[in-house]
Amino acid sequence: MQREEKQQDAVLEAVISRVNDLKTSIGAMIFKVENEYETLNWPNFLDNFALISGQLTSLTKILSNEKAPALRNFTVLPLMLKPDLDENLARVTEGRLTTFSHDIVPDYLRTKPEPDAEMKMVQLEHKANCVTYETTQKQVATMNKVVGHVWDLVNKAREEWESEAGSRSGAAQTFSLTDTPLLVAAISMGKGLKHTVTPGAMMGGPPPGPQRGPGALGPPQGPPGGIPGQMGPMGKAPSAIKTNIKAAGQMHPYR
Amino acid sequence: MNEMGVTTNSAFLCLFTSASAFGSPIVQMAQQTVNTAIDSLSAALKSNIIPNQEYFLQGSILDSSVEVLLHRLRGLCDNVDTTLETFHDHEMCFSIRGPNNAQPALQLRVRRSLDHNGMPMQLRYIGQPEIGDKSRPTVLRNSIDIGTSNTVVEFLTELGCRKDFEYLAKGYMFRKGRMKITVFKVFKIDETRKMSGGAFESLTALTHSYLVELSVLAPSGQDAIADDMRCFAEQLRPLVQLEKIDYKRLVHGP
Repeated sequence: MQREEKQQDAVLEAVISRVNDLKTSIGAMIFKVENEYETLNWPNFLDNFALISGQLTSLTKILSNEKAPALRNFTVLPLMLKPDLDENLARVTEGRLTTFSHDIVPDYLRTKPEPDAEMKMVQLEHKANCVTYETTQKQVATMNKVVGHVWDLVNKAREEWESEAGSRSGAAQTFSLTDTPLLVAAISMGKGLKHTVTPGAMMGGPPPGPQRGPGALGPPQGPPGGIPGQMGPMGKAPSAIKTNIKAAGQMHPYR
Repeated sequence: MNEMGVTTNSAFLCLFTSASAFGSPIVQMAQQTVNTAIDSLSAALKSNIIPNQEYFLQGSILDSSVEVLLHRLRGLCDNVDTTLETFHDHEMCFSIRGPNNAQPALQLRVRRSLDHNGMPMQLRYIGQPEIGDKSRPTVLRNSIDIGTSNTVVEFLTELGCRKDFEYLAKGYMFRKGRMKITVFKVFKIDETRKMSGGAFESLTALTHSYLVELSVLAPSGQDAIADDMRCFAEQLRPLVQLEKIDYKRLVHGP
């Protein structure tokens, strides 16, 4: 029992907060309509309805939650009625109700709808009962068809708009973001252009080149390095040959 | 890098003039000519009239949209009265390392035209690019070029330069005032080319895009031209996005 009471309290709290939000949004909408009716346009006004519908949905969700007790099983009974001012009540209801007296209680605690509303409901129910099953089916089918048509129209219009915007940006792809760096790297550093040469061909290529090289570039160190190199093949200083050939082989300045 | 270019030149010249100590009239005349050349070179350098700086911007455009770009350039540029100016060049890049395998290697480019066989070949030195910050609209780099005979490849090989890579550039050239705009496609040359001896039969395009370059050769200090270049680049948007591209950041290894 206590658990149910706790559940009940929790649900009531949630319902109260949701209802308060709903009340604020309705109040805002009315304010807007009354004061800003000159600058108001339909889409902005529709936002209000969207907000209210969202709040109603959340309220319904809470009420239809499994843990929520069915509120229709509970009745609110007044325990005490007095025509005096009740400050507590005024505080809780934000100044709307000051006395809990006999004349306001029937209106506030009523469970049946108002007489006008009740009459309208009765009329509608009567009308619904008169219509046969087949007519209802037909009417439902027509309604579905009409809604389907409207849905298709709206969808097509949306697709057209989107594709129009898409084609405008699609044609703008006249350059490739990846190709630019590729090309720049290729002509600046040879990336992608250097072909592998077999080492044998490279060494065998220009044999007199390295030995004559030091002579042409770097005059101070050229002659001493060049002359023993040239003397090498002649075989006059065997040890010098070996040293120099080894040096030329190891330290290849232009590789 | 200017100094490097000048000292290389003067080093070569010194080799030739060292023999003139003998005092023969021809050699003396040669010495005179050499002095005058060096004098005029240093005078030109001092008065800052040698166009040794290149301002440039690069971008690319897909093959499918090249026609549109060419039409637009024809409308904007000067040299298109009758036909489009095309070029078909073969560029080779050589590098030579200093002693002790010093990095970075000095890079020299040789460019020859395949369309006009009699024209001189172009030997060019391009320095490191300065990207700068947001205030600088273009990339700036040193650029020294000279026309040579067709023996320059042998000359460089004899010096000890090694060919790093080569490619073929085929495209169109436009001029607007001092600005040069080139739209070209880069082709990779296959190994088999060497066997056939010169004729470029097997070529593969590197990408499905054309490279677009906007460049101006000017003496150093004329930064105002960079703003003109940026204005021109704006006119080619959104077809092609000409911007500063830092190729050093693109390649993390050679």
